[in-house]
Amino acid sequence: MSSTDPVSSVVSVAVDIGGTFTDITVQDRQGQAWTAKTPSTPGDPSEAFLLGVSQALSKAGIPSHDVRRVLHGTTIATNMILENKAVATALVTTRGFRHVLEIGRQDIPRKANLYTWIKPARPVPPAHVFEVSERLSAEGNVLIELDEESVREAGRACLSAGVRSVAVCLLHAFAQPVHERRVVGILTDMLPGVTITASSDILPVVREYERSLATVINAQVMPGVSSYVRRLEERLTGYGIAAPLLLMKSNGGVASGGSICRSPATTALSGPAAGVVGARAVAMAAGFSDIITVDIGGTSADICLMKDGAIRLTQHGRIGEWPLPLPMVDMVTIGAGGGSLARVTPDGVLAVGPESAGSVPGPAAYRRGGTQATVTDAHVVLGHLPSLLGGGMDIDVQAARKAIADTVANPLGLEPGEAARGILAIANNAMVGAIRVVSVERGYDPRDFVLVPFGGAGPLHGCALAELVGIRTVLIPPSPGVLCAQGLLAADLRAEFSRGLRATGTPDAVMVEQSFTAAETDATTWFTEEGVPDARREMSRVALMRYAGQGVELTVPWPGTMAQAAETFAAEHRALYGFDLPDATVELVSLRVEAVGRLGGAITRSLPPGQGARATGMQTVLFASEPLETPVYDRTMLGAGDTFEGPAIVTQLDATTLVPPGWHAVMDESGSLILRHKIKESR
Amino acid sequence: MTETKTAETCDSVNLEIIRGGIRSIQAEMEALIERTAMSPFIREKKDFYTAVFDASGIMAVCSNNPIFGDLVGPVARDFPLETMREGDLYWYNDCYGSMGAVSHSNDQVFLAPVFLGERRVGFVMSWAHFADIGGLRPGSISPDTTDIFQEGIIVPPMKLATGGVYNDAALTMFYRNSRYPASARGDTRALIASVELGVTRMRELASRFGPACLGDALEQLVFRTRAVVQKCLRDVFPVGTCRFVDRIDGDGHGSGTLRLVFEMTRTEDDHFIIDATATDDQSVGPVNFLMNRDVPGMALGLYFLGGNPDHVMNAGAPRSLDEVRLREGSLLQPRFPAPLGMRGLTMMRTLSALNGLLSVAGSPAPAAHSSYVVVLLRGHVGERHFLMSDGIGVGYGARAYGDGPDGVYFVAQENYPVEFLELEYPVILREYGLNRDSGGPGRWRGGCGIIREFEILADEAILAIRLDGVHNPPWGADGGMSAGPGRVVVNPGTPRERHLKPLSDGNRLVKGDILRIETGGGGGRGHPFDRPPASVLADVLGGMVSTAAAENIYGVVIADRTVDMEATAALRKNRYETKDFHRGSYAHVLD
Repeated sequence: MSSTDPVSSVVSVAVDIGGTFTDITVQDRQGQAWTAKTPSTPGDPSEAFLLGVSQALSKAGIPSHDVRRVLHGTTIATNMILENKAVATALVTTRGFRHVLEIGRQDIPRKANLYTWIKPARPVPPAHVFEVSERLSAEGNVLIELDEESVREAGRACLSAGVRSVAVCLLHAFAQPVHERRVVGILTDMLPGVTITASSDILPVVREYERSLATVINAQVMPGVSSYVRRLEERLTGYGIAAPLLLMKSNGGVASGGSICRSPATTALSGPAAGVVGARAVAMAAGFSDIITVDIGGTSADICLMKDGAIRLTQHGRIGEWPLPLPMVDMVTIGAGGGSLARVTPDGVLAVGPESAGSVPGPAAYRRGGTQATVTDAHVVLGHLPSLLGGGMDIDVQAARKAIADTVANPLGLEPGEAARGILAIANNAMVGAIRVVSVERGYDPRDFVLVPFGGAGPLHGCALAELVGIRTVLIPPSPGVLCAQGLLAADLRAEFSRGLRATGTPDAVMVEQSFTAAETDATTWFTEEGVPDARREMSRVALMRYAGQGVELTVPWPGTMAQAAETFAAEHRALYGFDLPDATVELVSLRVEAVGRLGGAITRSLPPGQGARATGMQTVLFASEPLETPVYDRTMLGAGDTFEGPAIVTQLDATTLVPPGWHAVMDESGSLILRHKIKESR
Repeated sequence: MTETKTAETCDSVNLEIIRGGIRSIQAEMEALIERTAMSPFIREKKDFYTAVFDASGIMAVCSNNPIFGDLVGPVARDFPLETMREGDLYWYNDCYGSMGAVSHSNDQVFLAPVFLGERRVGFVMSWAHFADIGGLRPGSISPDTTDIFQEGIIVPPMKLATGGVYNDAALTMFYRNSRYPASARGDTRALIASVELGVTRMRELASRFGPACLGDALEQLVFRTRAVVQKCLRDVFPVGTCRFVDRIDGDGHGSGTLRLVFEMTRTEDDHFIIDATATDDQSVGPVNFLMNRDVPGMALGLYFLGGNPDHVMNAGAPRSLDEVRLREGSLLQPRFPAPLGMRGLTMMRTLSALNGLLSVAGSPAPAAHSSYVVVLLRGHVGERHFLMSDGIGVGYGARAYGDGPDGVYFVAQENYPVEFLELEYPVILREYGLNRDSGGPGRWRGGCGIIREFEILADEAILAIRLDGVHNPPWGADGGMSAGPGRVVVNPGTPRERHLKPLSDGNRLVKGDILRIETGGGGGRGHPFDRPPASVLADVLGGMVSTAAAENIYGVVIADRTVDMEATAALRKNRYETKDFHRGSYAHVLD
């Protein structure tokens, strides 16, 4: 590749900062990779960031000025939102609507109890919501001119309230941002050092509560994320790395530090998104493009489906209690993970999660003070986990047995093994429910997919989940516990540019074309800002459509004309919901241009051929049918083409894989372990 | 599914798995309705619910809504269970024919048996409020009605599909009776698709665990809920009789205040009897609430289960009561064909009255809440006619550990966003905010109601409004005060200002008119002087409490956006006396 093309295969550094460790991967032009692991430094994460980068580079023997790309996945925005640690923020809204956040959608949530539900405190208290005099119509026409004195009054209120960030969300600004722009201009002059976010820049779509909330969330994390990004960039420059810093977003793509500082809320779900992108990369390398990923961590599991290698986006996502309609990877998160606590309810029912033992006290088997049974303890009792972290940490089997006996087996009058299997059955069932949501509920048959379990606990559950939903192939990635780094290296630059259509009903072709062209112009500007050469730019048009009267749109690729799009829409509606309405009017609600700047992706190197799998030890595993002496394999000693039969356990530094009886394992030359169920499922 | 279990009884592990499975079925059925329904009533306001029943029709899991009765019973009466076959689907909205399982005709129930092979393993149901099914006025419910025939078409329990073949003629007739047939058709298709989906999913569950194990699990769920609720009843109610009286403002046809009288008797041998026979006579206007006998048990059950995720709401809750006595010809058991369309306000006061019974017995139930407010605006712009059915939130009652929610409507029912409303209807919202000082004062403040002020852009429109609690505001408890009332004003502050009757129809509005609706709040709990000054300050700065009320009622002096601690302490020295309840003034017993 020529040096004039900045997005070819180049030296890349991927940095994933977790709660405990910061993982760094350096990849050279040929795809060879070196990794480093260093304790995270929560006080100033950039310390561990730079230390890890320098360690990995010296391991690789690559000078810092050779680095062409630094990719980073961060949960800084996520944590600020979930832990309510964001800065004091004000909301500026249209006069008459100061309680827009307080009222929200005026509902008691469907799953809540009428008698006990307490309305959660909004991210901005009503005392920090200030009104300005102005009004637009639904069509975006000015009904009341903006009263600039009222804006200055709001600015003075912001000053005396001492807020560090301001969100501006005016009614109908999605249709016409003129007033918002002016408000931002005046406030910027009045409030030096205060960050200001306009709703029309973050999320120009209808529904004022959701848009206000997204704008507020964005504003709240903006100062924190901006200073974080700036510090990282300074550290990198100081170290002699002039390469751009690219950050992972919730949509599974990366974007430059500059664009992340403008819309930090787009990183709210970047952690899970990076894992999904990594899973996609390893599955594609092994030749699979229809996959269901299951990322099982300590407290939760994220489940996602990909058809033809395409990661679907949703605008109906949530973060914590709040809806966040920014495009994000369409996945389902449930509160079941390795640390999920098992308990017996007062009326004798076994329940698992959503409470978790976290990393402290953690599972009883880890000897960090935990005494309550967790999912991990169930695995230990059944013999699924001979050691942890490749032998680096001992497992206390007795402590796990005692926890299971005390908290589950004795109260229910069960043997510890039965109780442990019960705990896993319930945890697995919760995950199966989520697999069904992303597959069956979206019109897909899970049996047509390959299951890709990852995260620390994923490979322990993979085959059991596959059996429950009738999946016959399971792919265990090369490093299932640290797939985020893989995802960062494989990620492309991604952004979406939406255009709402102001009129309801069937739009005319000229207007549609103009809207698409306008969105594509925005996308082109973005490509230029991000330095993407023409050859690596990709744009696709999608339409958000519904039957006149419906409230939720379906996203369909734009086939070129409204008539064709209506047909595609009807087919999708049938597939998803079991019916279509031939007499009803189909509406085009909004358009989206999805822009991708291809970065070349991760380069996979093939695994050298193996010498035949040889067990390194034996372990007694209490399978439901009977206890079996089970061979244990060391993943690092397996080469391409090596095969073995279940029952088996495969250990590696970052995860343990359980291969039950009836499964056949083969090491793929891409480095993934492929497990196949031997009995062909009848359909 | 590869795993098939055929155990006759369900163990504690499978019970949890089946419960999770049923929750997923419900969630999937509800998501389908939400995504595909066509009328704003269902898709934005989300007035729909689902339930799953065992093979004999006993409700095993339902939404967290207390207003459910025996839903399969009315169908089984005319179509014996043993004659049902796979692919059958039943439909009704007949209030009197279902003994109040449906309590106004807009609510359509679609219900289907689930079979595994030849064996019936359960039922699934979807239910939703349809925007218009004919009747006297657009929207079908109107304060003007005087019999149920004016409230739209009545569908008795009927078989809509036999073995998968639909009776299209019945549907055609139904659609023809709606002023908005396209919406009716779309909503019907959405509900049927949801029921069909539920049938498929429930069959999968039965095949995975076996009908016997599934049946046993559903029976256990009902049994467990009943046991929990029974225990709570014994813990709360002493042997003897507790009594509570609540009120509605009237029927809109001149009745004046009407009383709901509830008594709970616990006998020496632990029988629990609810008696509402002393309730006032039925009304001419449509505020009659044909209360299914399961409703008091469902409401008490939902209260006792609290937010505990270990339990599900089902028929076990009403089964914890031994008897519910109602008097035919009363407001809670009207005679056919009394109108029922506006029963919502009586229903909400019934829930408050049951909270009152709990409070009298010493259980810290929430104080009373206002009845949610319904607005029906029908009019035209040129030739284009429209029907806007808007639901406006109210304040809910304070709890013993927290403030009552501000500005909410009811479980699962959402508002129309301003931006959506203005896109769809010829109105402009001038204000949408919380109604200051409408929350009942207390240590825990009652929720505030809402202000929604419209400017009419239609050439002409006729308004129906339903707003209660103006003369009889929601009560406060344990020293807390009653809520502020709501009101409806046209062109406020102008020479053309006029106040509308809060339960009325036929109000004519023309282009340029301003319609201001202020809704009531919820009652407070605990002495207002015990509310921390910082909370009162936050309420004042947030627009929920006025500076005057802070000083006069809470004894908190606020100047320059801060609390004057000295002046506050001085005021709070003169602590006023309180009593158990408060509606306008303190009283030990409300009547």
